[in-house]
Amino acid sequence: MIGQPLRRREDERFLTGAARYVDDVDVPGALHAAFVRSFEAHARIRKIDAEPARRARGVVAVLTGADVADRAGRLPAGSIEDGVVADAGHPVLARDKVRYAGEAVAIVVAKSRALAEDAAELVEVDLEPLPAVVDVLAALADGAPLLHEQLGDNVLSRWSKRAGDAVGAFARAHRVVSRSFSIPRLVAAPMEPRGAVASYDADRDLVTLWTSSQDPHRPLAQLSFALGRPRDSFRIVVPDVGGAFGSKGAIPPEAVAAIVAAMELGRPVRWTEDRLENFLAAYQGRGLEADLELAVAADGELLAVRARLYADLGAYLFPTTAVPSHTTAMLMTGAYRIPAADVEVVGVATSKVPTGPYRGAGRPEAAYLVERMVDLAAHELGIDPVELRRRNLIPRDAFPYETPLGWVYDSGDYERCLDRVLELLGPEDGHARGVAMYIERCGGLWESASVEALPDGKVIVRTGSSPHGQGHETVFAQIAATELDLDPAEVEVRWGDTDETPAGVGTFASRSVAMGGSAVLEAARAVKEHWRQTGARTPFRAEVRFESPLLFAAGAYAAVVELDPATGRLTVLRVAGVDDSGTIVNPLLAEGQVLGAIVQGLGECLVEEAIHDEYGQLRTASFADYSLLTAAELPDLVTAFVETPSPHNPLGAKGIGEGGAIGTLAAIANAVAAALAPFGVRHLDPPYTEERVWRALHER
Amino acid sequence: MTQQVSIEINGERYAAEVEARLSLADFIRYEARLHGTHLGCEHGVCGACTVQLDGEPVRSCLLFAVQADGRRVRTVEALGEPGKLHPLQEAFKETHALQCGFCTPGFLMSLEPFLRDNPHPSEEEIREALAGNLCRCTGYVGIIEAVRLAAER
Repeated sequence: MIGQPLRRREDERFLTGAARYVDDVDVPGALHAAFVRSFEAHARIRKIDAEPARRARGVVAVLTGADVADRAGRLPAGSIEDGVVADAGHPVLARDKVRYAGEAVAIVVAKSRALAEDAAELVEVDLEPLPAVVDVLAALADGAPLLHEQLGDNVLSRWSKRAGDAVGAFARAHRVVSRSFSIPRLVAAPMEPRGAVASYDADRDLVTLWTSSQDPHRPLAQLSFALGRPRDSFRIVVPDVGGAFGSKGAIPPEAVAAIVAAMELGRPVRWTEDRLENFLAAYQGRGLEADLELAVAADGELLAVRARLYADLGAYLFPTTAVPSHTTAMLMTGAYRIPAADVEVVGVATSKVPTGPYRGAGRPEAAYLVERMVDLAAHELGIDPVELRRRNLIPRDAFPYETPLGWVYDSGDYERCLDRVLELLGPEDGHARGVAMYIERCGGLWESASVEALPDGKVIVRTGSSPHGQGHETVFAQIAATELDLDPAEVEVRWGDTDETPAGVGTFASRSVAMGGSAVLEAARAVKEHWRQTGARTPFRAEVRFESPLLFAAGAYAAVVELDPATGRLTVLRVAGVDDSGTIVNPLLAEGQVLGAIVQGLGECLVEEAIHDEYGQLRTASFADYSLLTAAELPDLVTAFVETPSPHNPLGAKGIGEGGAIGTLAAIANAVAAALAPFGVRHLDPPYTEERVWRALHER
Repeated sequence: MTQQVSIEINGERYAAEVEARLSLADFIRYEARLHGTHLGCEHGVCGACTVQLDGEPVRSCLLFAVQADGRRVRTVEALGEPGKLHPLQEAFKETHALQCGFCTPGFLMSLEPFLRDNPHPSEEEIREALAGNLCRCTGYVGIIEAVRLAAER
């Protein structure tokens, strides 16, 4: 059944209204939380007067930062390989200072959500405004106001690497292509905002948290850190999750505050985020300024790349905040055999909500930067951009291929991806077109799974990997049923409860099939081996922890666009995407991932941008101001897979969740640049709104 | 300020004393305890909370429960059930028109009256009909196919 487009077994509950998301979880006696949030981007807290709120109808408690300090510290700040991060984890509730508009300063707990929101308005927060720090380059300038005075500057992370003879390559290059880029912040905007229900059993000293999260085990570790309690004093349950796209990979500070309130009050506390809060306080994505230089020989050989990346990390570090810009840095040689690199990334503190992974998480930025540079080089050298790529792609016989920056690409056939996408794109028809390659780092670390054969012949798969829309139940049942020669209907898949499922790392970096799926496969193999030895399908349970090095999916994307110079209106006519994600277990679901990711990438190109004004206020805090594309705005989309197996897992799988969101921006950006070239415009950063395109054409 | 309301939902009558400010969506979710209707934005853009009021699709986050007093509401729970799906639900499953599923009930409740009024829609009409509901997962491709398939059947 591997490779078959099985329909999803989870669909019936979603289609009939029987799914249970976190706000649907019935916890008897639960109170409701609302948060008092900072209206300033950067300010000293003079005083918080919660007394009027405490006296309001239906209110049970109001807790400020000072009130939770005994029980809760900060969330962990995370780390990056070979780099440094500052001690700037996100506080549960602000104390002394607020560092972004929307930062929670108090939790109000009441008998209903409406009463909690009423009372939150009565909390008087007296703030002494400090200068906002909005622009990353200004934040690094001498004398810039400091977000965290004790750090001495506005740097939250730093990483750099030089490899190969970059200095020599730039000195002897036929040409050096230079360009600065700016990639705006985006909002992940899952249709279900965040939320949690916290409950505390004092007799067992056990905290139970139902949470809309990407996985249960990362919250477990983060809560253990923030609350200073052992991991076995928590049970984390992840019910159905209404999308995440990277934005539900860190436990929200609000959920920690709800736990503290539940412990103080001895009653469960529910927090259901509204959309405004999600815009203001859920971590955002992207946000990068970059200066690139590419050293090129006369024949088009790419000799070296130099990159200075300045990531807009926002006010604090969530555990994953510093990760995307490190990923961007590591991918600065892209799909090409570039022997030398000199790359530095600085993660910058700004008075805005933190950033973190959003679908692609550093890889779309890398593809955008590298692929724009390749097109700019092609333009300067007068070489066809596709031909320039062919001359420099890592050849199919060069794997495993270690990049100068130190990642080892496991397998791939980049030229075949390029050939295939050109076929999908169709013949030249006079419209501007753009082509881009991408590399997706995926997989890595470990996942675990158990497979249990019951006396009645049924099989239960328990996985530490956890879904939020991907279809784990169908795919993991498909894998186990294939190995055990069963009907998938005889396989039950359980996930999302730290009391029942084996430990897991999490659902991110397009790793569920390759890591979680391989763990399921190896556990099923162990059951099968037991059956072989006993000569019968006897009851048996096997648990496997599967580890692997990083995997590297790749692909080629292309776009055809049309530009109306009078209005600046850009029409994307066609996007073609070819993804090489290794072996495809379920092509129906894999294509679903690709199409969904392409349309998110299209949104990034056409309409999406989180805009903060000079005071650090988010001006795009509703779906009226931050548009998502609708079905009426889709171009022609064509996709295909190339399947070069990974040598690192028994499925041969890599990741499929993000490629569309990685390749689409780079391809459309190159097509837009091609469309603008006749007007003398060499480059334009996204989003390609009518206003931005018109200004590029008319305000030169 | 509270008010007595009586609303027929999926053929059952739900009577309650509610605050005048209670939205129809909250009435459906927390008074009638029908959790299939979801709140995605609470400002009338995303369409996840779409239900039918006297047969026509409405955003239940933009209506007060008191406005539905004495009227008929139909939610996704009335459309079909596991093992006995509505043809539209079958088509969604067939074409992989849902991933996280949070927006799905709103799409279904918008589309059922659309196909009733326009049983043979063009591609253009389908896209227009879908444009009032947001989906962040699927890129809409499977949903468009599902509508086409349901119309054919």
